[in-house]
Amino acid sequence: MTGPLQLDAETLNACVSCGLCLPHCPTYRVTGREIASPRGRIAAMRAVETNEAPIDDAFRAAMEECVSCRGCEPACPSGVQFGKLMETTRAALPSPRSRVRRGAEWFGYRVVLPRHWLLITCTWLAWLAQRLHLVPARVGLPRLSARSLARGLELPTGGTPDAWLFTGCVMDAWLRDTHRSAARVMGATGARLAQPTNGGACCGALHLHAGREAEARALAERVMQSMPGVAPVVVDSAGCGATMKEYGKLLGSADAHAFSERVRDFSEWLAHQAAPRLRPTGIQVVIQDPCHLRHVQKAHGAVREVLAPAYELLETADDGLCCGAGGAYVVTQPELSRRILDRKVEALRAAGGGADPIVVSANPGCMVQLRGAGIDARHPADLIAEALDE
Amino acid sequence: MCFPRSSDEVAAAVGVARRHGRAFVARGSGTGLAGGATPLDDPVVIVTTQMNRVLEIDPQARVAWVEPGVLNLDLSRAVGHLGLHYAPDPSSQQACTIGGNVGTNAGGPHCLADGVTSAHVLAVDVVLADGTATRLGGLEPDSPGYDLRGCFVGSEGTMGIATRIAVRLTPDPPCVATLLCAFDSVEAAATTVSGIIAAGVLPAALEMMDAPITRAVEDFVGAGYPRDAQAVLLAEVDGLEGGVAEQVDAIAEVARANGATLVRVAADDAERALLWKGRKSAFGAIARIAPDYYLHDAVVPRTKLVEVLRRVYEIADAHEVIVMNVFHAGDGNLHPLLVFDQREPGVWDRVHAAGTEILEACLDAGGVLTGEHGVGIEKRDLMPRMFSPDDLDAQARLRDAFDPDGVANPQKVLPRGSRCGELQRVPEGTWI
Repeated sequence: MTGPLQLDAETLNACVSCGLCLPHCPTYRVTGREIASPRGRIAAMRAVETNEAPIDDAFRAAMEECVSCRGCEPACPSGVQFGKLMETTRAALPSPRSRVRRGAEWFGYRVVLPRHWLLITCTWLAWLAQRLHLVPARVGLPRLSARSLARGLELPTGGTPDAWLFTGCVMDAWLRDTHRSAARVMGATGARLAQPTNGGACCGALHLHAGREAEARALAERVMQSMPGVAPVVVDSAGCGATMKEYGKLLGSADAHAFSERVRDFSEWLAHQAAPRLRPTGIQVVIQDPCHLRHVQKAHGAVREVLAPAYELLETADDGLCCGAGGAYVVTQPELSRRILDRKVEALRAAGGGADPIVVSANPGCMVQLRGAGIDARHPADLIAEALDE
Repeated sequence: MCFPRSSDEVAAAVGVARRHGRAFVARGSGTGLAGGATPLDDPVVIVTTQMNRVLEIDPQARVAWVEPGVLNLDLSRAVGHLGLHYAPDPSSQQACTIGGNVGTNAGGPHCLADGVTSAHVLAVDVVLADGTATRLGGLEPDSPGYDLRGCFVGSEGTMGIATRIAVRLTPDPPCVATLLCAFDSVEAAATTVSGIIAAGVLPAALEMMDAPITRAVEDFVGAGYPRDAQAVLLAEVDGLEGGVAEQVDAIAEVARANGATLVRVAADDAERALLWKGRKSAFGAIARIAPDYYLHDAVVPRTKLVEVLRRVYEIADAHEVIVMNVFHAGDGNLHPLLVFDQREPGVWDRVHAAGTEILEACLDAGGVLTGEHGVGIEKRDLMPRMFSPDDLDAQARLRDAFDPDGVANPQKVLPRGSRCGELQRVPEGTWI
């Protein structure tokens, strides 16, 4: 059975509709609608795949409502690869009818993200707009820093380092100070670091989630070339790291598999080094696991391991449900994203004992999303850098 | 389809259905296994997922008022900080709703000692088929008059829709121990079950899984279930520390006497949780073996477990379908799972034939049609196998008292022809 969506029949069949995924799906949690759940989406995919239903606007909307958090995957006793089903389905959707939307997607995915200099230029423009109070707070753009943007990352480019620090696209433009913290902490372990040869590049995660597979593949090839050799590739953005760990699956080549094997989340890498000396701060921190760190990389334990010597860690009681950032999701589905965020903020405040807590999150998307809601969200690298006993 | 947020909105939805001559069906998370929430004949589907608030918690009285869309596990989590929990724990507890639990009178592993849903529901606010709201049962220890609450729990939406439910909360036990016992044969495990109860131990839960299902769940959870055992028992005892230790010894002794190849006590809460996660994921893990399953639910006297299980395997063999057993052994609640791939031609007929024969074997052994999943559509036409025409007529008249027009979840639970005087089904080929 291969229908209009070109889904793998065995992957689609693996769902037995038991419903154990429902509570782990952020959109189901906030809407209570079956079609906004993994089980409902799979039922819709099946209907289209067997030609019982057309690919219409309702089907497109149902597929686009998914955050791609993949929280349903570890919850699934039958191991349904939901992320793969969703990516393939999105790739098979015809381009949207709205010209404005097509134009905006082309500009974002094709023009800006692959050209880092252009992204930085746009960020300068956004900085200017922010200073002129032209950017409403609800947009959730983090406060951009001219000092940080003007100064490059003080790391050698290329060579044969002990470890690469992957710089990425948006993260390098908006949160470069976190890269600096990561570099400081990594340096404190005695490792020699380098940044990718092209200075900073997009890993293709956003493209992949949007069903733009061909573009994602091209970007993946470029990222792989920018960090040759055998040294670990350390990524301080959980979303990027998850995608880079799946380059092997995406490209299918031996090189890509070998590259994916080298990818480590920042905390995951740090947990395996001689630990730098940290002073106990006595500060309480609530942990927010980025979905792609917890559900895809399954490296969320490392965050706790590296922070525990310096901070008092508090857990939320929501099974690591998504915060609604989801890469471009916050832009494409603002209303659902906001409702998912509200639920998250409630869980974070409850974990922090009611007051606004310091929250640690290892993904730039989540950090920006949470900061937009007034939460003091920090990256593990920033927190550890602050606690370094140098 | 509508998503009410209050009792008033449920009543309004029922009103709209009635004005347009439609039936209505309540739906929670859609995890039911007997088709109770399946809409037949285009009814208005009233989905309760937006009514998901825990309204009131009274830790002194150990009672909570909840809306029907609250998830079973969410309720336990909401009262966990008070040292309380909601005792009925169906395998789908992380996903299923309290409203659905009330509808099916759901059970779960821990219902062996604690009792099923009905024992934990004190009162229900319902919207009846005519759109009026009323309260059945009450918080007082003994409500005067007939126990209409008892009628409603398990009525599978045929007597109205619950909009607020008062549930009993159970104190967390001071001490819990979970044992994993492995056996070389299903018979040895089943004999152990009877032996444990006969030894005077009433475990909080006593669950059994056979070899194929044990391997499938172990692939998912990695809890240390032995892959080479023919059957495993999961026994949990709770209470005061001394009593628990004694019961653990008693269970271990019975298991060893029956040739257990492994008796392990979970070392900590994490291991305990993992073992339970495995047991509760069993049905969902089936796709690791085949893409489709038909799960049965019947109860047999505990003393007949060995012979009924043997019969179940024989029937499956005769129809060339794979059967797996994972069930609440302590109360004789069998869950034979027929596993298949529906793309295989003719397989449905074999699965249905095997399923019916299995149920009949359970009934012949003195068992009943359903333990906890309900009747729904699935078991409806088997009801006459268990109840006499008089029994069915009495049930139909009770239902009519709540819903004279038959608009609340029609065509469920009772087969056509349940009422006396109603035209009995005419055998095919008869001239009339």
